[in-house]
This record gives sequence, structure tokens and C-alpha cells, in this order.
Amino acid sequence: MARLRNGQWWMHILLLGYVAAVLFPLVWLFMSSFKSNREITANTWGLPTRFSFENYAAAWESANIGKYALNSAYVTLAACVLTLLFAAMTSFAISRMKYTRTNKAVYLFILLGLIVPPGALFIPLYRLIQGIELFGQPLYNTHLSLILVYCTYALPITVFIIYAFMLSIPNELEEAGIIDGLGASGLFFRIIVPISLPAIVTVFILNFIGNWNEYILSQLFITSESLKTLPTGMATFNDGYRTNFASLSAAVIMSIIPVLAVYVFLQRQIIEGMTAGSVKG
Amino acid sequence: MNKALKNPFTYIAFIVPTLALYAVFFVYPVIVSFYYGFFKWDGITDKVFTGLDNFARLWNDEVFRKALANNFYFMAFSLVVNIPLVFLLSIIISKVGRMRDFYKSAVFVPVVISTATVAILFGVLYNYDSGMINQFIRLVAPDDWAREWLSDPKLAMLSILIANAWQNIGFFIVLCLAAILNIPKEIVEAAKIDGVNGWQETWTITLPLVRPILFVMLLLTVSGTMKVLDIVQIMTNGGPFQSTEVMSTYMLKVGFRSMELGYGSAIGVAMFILILVLTGMLQLMTRREEVQY
Repeated sequence: MARLRNGQWWMHILLLGYVAAVLFPLVWLFMSSFKSNREITANTWGLPTRFSFENYAAAWESANIGKYALNSAYVTLAACVLTLLFAAMTSFAISRMKYTRTNKAVYLFILLGLIVPPGALFIPLYRLIQGIELFGQPLYNTHLSLILVYCTYALPITVFIIYAFMLSIPNELEEAGIIDGLGASGLFFRIIVPISLPAIVTVFILNFIGNWNEYILSQLFITSESLKTLPTGMATFNDGYRTNFASLSAAVIMSIIPVLAVYVFLQRQIIEGMTAGSVKG
Repeated sequence: MNKALKNPFTYIAFIVPTLALYAVFFVYPVIVSFYYGFFKWDGITDKVFTGLDNFARLWNDEVFRKALANNFYFMAFSLVVNIPLVFLLSIIISKVGRMRDFYKSAVFVPVVISTATVAILFGVLYNYDSGMINQFIRLVAPDDWAREWLSDPKLAMLSILIANAWQNIGFFIVLCLAAILNIPKEIVEAAKIDGVNGWQETWTITLPLVRPILFVMLLLTVSGTMKVLDIVQIMTNGGPFQSTEVMSTYMLKVGFRSMELGYGSAIGVAMFILILVLTGMLQLMTRREEVQY
């Protein structure tokens, strides 16, 4: 056994080399974010000569990152909550309620959504969003348009995962609830949802990260500067500041830090949540 | 007892929101994208029915062919470079005892960063004068080996593929590692008693038993590379000289820049059918590949 452990040193060197190569660009960008444009070129590898937050201040002011992040947080959370609520309700209905035929039809219909890539539908979706009016207000260029569309495209995988979980809950718990006088919605809110929390947390993370990072739809549906989400806002900033690396690095670092901070604390849950869709699918 | 779970009002209230959203934002766009595909339409004047003209045009469109070829290049690169690398790294991670969780968390870091941010990050890294990559080349090799990575038609696609690999490999490693660690210990131990050594174990036990995850990775790679969009659009938007054009960037250009909504929809339909056919073929090929322990 000792010999086997000793034989592992080269594997560690290989893996550490790979990890260093993958993470170094981020470290390099972090160091660049404190340098001036001139210093990035002249002193590429060294530590910044002084830690000034000028780039951060400049990027914060010109890139509106705070505003974009707030927009992203609102759209992402609203879409996630809506998705989970609808998906859990539907999964409950088709996994626990006694309408066998309809259940199967609804389930298969929803699974169709896993086959069609939303990428093929941008043009009709765009026309649709432009054409819809809700309570006399156009839906185009509102956060609601993103929330509804994100929710719709997250539904198939969310129903798929929650449905599988709910199907595995034993009947006894429900029967106890029914004896206590609960109706269908009581069973749903008081028994099935609390038990299904692990699956719900998993899909919450999956959807949260997907929505937070979504770029194309947000770029198609949102035209107002003040409504942009973080990825589209960053892309706009990138177009305007392509040569100003100092500000650009600071802006990128600012947009990454919150994500990495959350990742540090919730690694296990995030990895599990993000890979859940593909393993089970 | 069936009564509580046979309440039609609750049932309808519980499934209608999902089905309504689904019908409006999913089913309807799918149907009209096929429908639009048969028309010449600029979005403003009346649609003109042209039958299969859009699809015939697609067949002869040089740019579309170029885009399709680039999608296949994307797929081939991911299959030939990314997936073997994923296997190699996951097998090594599964073999080391200590620090396994550290490696797993570290390789996953790029996965949580948004594709838009990754594209911008690599735009900075690839810059000619001060980008990290050229600066590194100047450090270890003659100065004139530095390249205009994203504006050289010969290198732009490769540069995007590297950025894409940087972001995605970690995701696949985690999938693959989970599958490897899932192999029952008894099988590995039985093989060891039979005198199988470390790398034989990899060939004879690990690889055959993780075939289902290989299938998942192939599926994700094929559909992912056929519809790839964000990273290309932000890094080069198909340029220079359409050397990095892919189907979806071309679709958006045709649809929104040239306002040819009918033709754009036809490209979307072609993309959808292509993905369906390719993933369907994969599924047929691996149908009998159920692994039993």
C-alpha cells in the first residue's frame, strides 16, 4: 500500500499542473485588474506595483455593474420561484393524483421540451414577445418577458427531476395525511413539498445558474440599458471598452467574484445541482 | 381514500399554469418556425408563400455550408480533444486518494462562470499586445510567434475551441468521475485478486463500465456543438471573413440583421432537424449498451 501511495506523486503533479493552467488565467486577470493599461503590457507577469482600486471605480461607474447584477438577481430569482412552483404543482398532480391516463399524456408532452433546443426558436420567440400585450402593456423589453420564457424552458427538466422524486415517495405518508383530513392541495403543501425539498433544492440551483448566466434571450428581448442583465451588460461593456483592459479586467472580476464566493461555500450542492440534469437525463 | 387525490379542480389548477406557459412560449414557436420557413418575409410587409424555396436556398448557400462545416469542426474537436482529456483526467483523479475533492472543485470553477464572461475573459487573454497568451509566447519563444488569435481567419476557430474547452471540460470531468467512483468496489477487488494491475484495470474494467456516461457526454457534445452560440457571438460574431460562422450566428444575422425572417426560421428548422437526427442516431447506436454489474 505504501508503495502504491508513493507511486502517486506523478499523478498529483499532472493534476496540479492542469489545475494551475486552468485557474491561472483568472489569477492573471485579477492581477491585471489592479494595473494600468501600460503596466499590463510592460509588467505582464509581476504583481501590480500598487493596489489601486481606480479600475474598479471606473468600471463600476461606466459599466453599471451594480444595476445589471440587481436586474439579474431579480429576473433569475423570480423565474426560479415561478418554475419551482409550477413544476412542483404539475409533478404532484401527475405523480400522485389518480388520473392515470391524463398523467401519462401530460408527462410525455412536457418531456418533448427536452428534445427541441430553444436555440432553434429565437426568431419565432422574438416575434411572439414583440406581439404580446399584457394588460395593455407590451411584453417586449420588460423583465417579465425574460421571467416567463426562462420559466418555460426550465420546466421540462425541472418537472422531470421533481416528478421522479415524488413518484418514489411511499403512499403511507399521504394516507396518514388523508386520515387527518387533508385535501389534495393540503397534501401537496404540507406533506409532499416538504419531503421533496432535496430535489427542489437541486433543481433550484440548476435553474438559478442557468438563468443567471443566460445571454442570448436577454440580448434579444431587452433593449433598455437600465433593464439589462449582467451577461448582456458585460457584453455591451466589452464592445465599448475592447482596448481598455484595465477597466475590462476589473469589470470581469467584479462579475465573477459573487459567483465564486457562493461557489466556495456551496460547492457540493452546486456541482450536484448542475450535473443533475444530465446524469438523470 | 382515493377521493382526496381525485379532485378535478385541484388537478386542473395544478397543471394548467405549466401547460399554458408551455403552449404559448414553446409549442407555438415550434409550430410557427416550421410555418415561417415556407415564406419569404421581412417582418413588415406581407408574407409571400414560396414553398420549399428557403430550404433549397439553404442547400446552395455557401455561407450556410461554411457555418455547418464549422459546427462539425466544433463537434470533431470536442470529441477528439475534449473527451479523451476528460477521461484521462477523471481516471487520474479517481486513482489518487488524497485531495480528490480539491481537484474536483478546482476543475469545476470555470463551469460556474457565465459563457458571456468566459468569452470576454478570453478576448483579453488573446489580445495581441498585452494578452496573457501572446505575452507567454514572447517569454518562451521568438517574439514573432505571437499571433492575432481572434482576427486571423486560420486561428480564430481554434481560439474559440480552446476557450470553450476551458469552460466545459470541468463539467464533463465531474460527470465522468462520478461514474467511475460508482463502480462497485467488489468488481475492482475481484479483478485485483485475478492479478489485474492498475492500467489494465482502467482498460478492462473502468472504461467498459463507464460507457453509459460516455454516451451522455457524446449526446451533450453533439447537441451542444450543433447549437453553440454565445461564445462565438461574443468572441468573433462569426468573423473574420465568416471563418467562425456557425449555424446559430448565421441564423441570427439572417433573421435580425437582414430581416429575412422566413429564411432565418428555415435555418432554425434545419438546425433542429439536424440535432434530432444526430442524437437519434447516437441513441440507436447505443441502444443495447445497458451496463449490468
